[in-house]
Amino acid sequence: MKFLTIKFLLLALLAFAAFASPEAEPVHEAASSHKDETYKAQSMGEMIQGFAKSTGIYAILYPDPNELSSHGEQMSDFHKSWGRVLMILVTFLLFYLAIAKGYEPLLLLPIAFGGLLANIPVANIAGVHGFLGVIYNMGLANEMFPILIFMGVGAMTDFGPLLSNPKTALLGGAAQFGIFGTLVGAVALSQYTNIFDFTLQQASAISIIGGADGPTSIFIATKLAPELLGAIAVASYSYMALVPIIQPPIMRALTTQKERKIKMVTRRHVSRLEKLVFPIMVLSLAIMILPASTPLIGAFMFGNFLKESGVVERLNDTLQNSLINIVTIFLGLGVGSKLAADQFLVVDTLAILILGLLAFSAGTASGVIMAKIMNLFPGEKINPLIGSAGVSAVPMAARVSNKVGIEFDRSNMLLMHAMGPNVAGVIGSAVAAGVMISIFG
Amino acid sequence: MENLVFEGFKFMALGMGTVFSFLILMIGAMNLQSYIIHKFFPDPAPLSGAGKAENKNAKIAAITAAVMHHNNAKS
Repeated sequence: MKFLTIKFLLLALLAFAAFASPEAEPVHEAASSHKDETYKAQSMGEMIQGFAKSTGIYAILYPDPNELSSHGEQMSDFHKSWGRVLMILVTFLLFYLAIAKGYEPLLLLPIAFGGLLANIPVANIAGVHGFLGVIYNMGLANEMFPILIFMGVGAMTDFGPLLSNPKTALLGGAAQFGIFGTLVGAVALSQYTNIFDFTLQQASAISIIGGADGPTSIFIATKLAPELLGAIAVASYSYMALVPIIQPPIMRALTTQKERKIKMVTRRHVSRLEKLVFPIMVLSLAIMILPASTPLIGAFMFGNFLKESGVVERLNDTLQNSLINIVTIFLGLGVGSKLAADQFLVVDTLAILILGLLAFSAGTASGVIMAKIMNLFPGEKINPLIGSAGVSAVPMAARVSNKVGIEFDRSNMLLMHAMGPNVAGVIGSAVAAGVMISIFG
Repeated sequence: MENLVFEGFKFMALGMGTVFSFLILMIGAMNLQSYIIHKFFPDPAPLSGAGKAENKNAKIAAITAAVMHHNNAKS
């Protein structure tokens, strides 16, 4: 019996070896020629020299002329050497902003650390077989992670404030002007200057920053212009963190003292059934009008429906906490892999940062202006300060509206009124994203 | 080469048009939904509150009866 087992094992081994050898051969040859070099009997001095050549310092000082980027393309010497050092310093700056200044640390920290790892020479962590590359291909290249995040965001969103005052949804629509205004700006920039050359796809991916919605930006960027993903994601999340700094001056500039003091009537009660029907209703509209937007809206409404159903508390809890946390880690690291020097240290990045800021400001301004336009019509008056919350950035933008409102009238609580346009802005940017997807197919 | 800026403006018209029509439809649907729900499925919250109060009264009555019965039985 023992012999039989051994025989069988031997047979299996032989079969495996026979099976594996034809495939393994070319690799073996390539490896053996390499091994011949390194496995020659070496003197101690040679060994130390060889080791020294494999250090990071050597790789940065004397970049390997044959090294390819994670896309398998040629890189300039700068991007292989000092560009990497510079990018590592940039990630340190992002660490500082995330930790000391509290700028969206949940995403900025994983992104920045991913960027740090992606810029390590020799190790090639962001390459196809490095773990960052694996994460990127696992969930970002196929737009999976932003969708999962959207489910979690849906489970965290309360549509009550919007349902109690439906017309404020228009503010969330107006703020999307930031997206399309910037689109025109980006194509004008590439049309009339020789420095930048954005295609329409790239211009659209950049302008979606104006939607102030991280997952949507990442979704569109990976679909339309994956080469710009790193810069777009960093710009998007940095500006979202900067909402309390960017928005108030624009809001003050566009409103009068009297308008800022407008008090809005108390909201009516919203029944549970209304909240339960709402996600299905919006999804049905999306199905009829813009099916291209249903990946985003569908995931969003799925999360919200689970929450409002009230019978799947466990799933709701997982979406809001565990799932979104896990995906955030992967999403951050995957985006960070696009902070490699050869992709981030290009002039396009500068344009993206500037255009992103422009998109944000334009969105804020058009939300406020829309509220002023709505006040020209008879009916209940709207405080224009809540217009700025139409750029999504939930719930930061709504808090900013509230804060500016309190500055001028201590008793004026705008937070709940601002949540209406705020969540409408999320739907608005998902629709805008759907339009772009439907245009480019 | 065709004028990209003009293309951009076309995108803007289509995009903003879609966003606004979607949201306007959504507002209409929200108003309709709220009308229907308030008319045909009024919020059971106040009703259930009253129901609870009734329940409470019934419970108190039952407890009182039980205590009375207990006391009567004792004496």
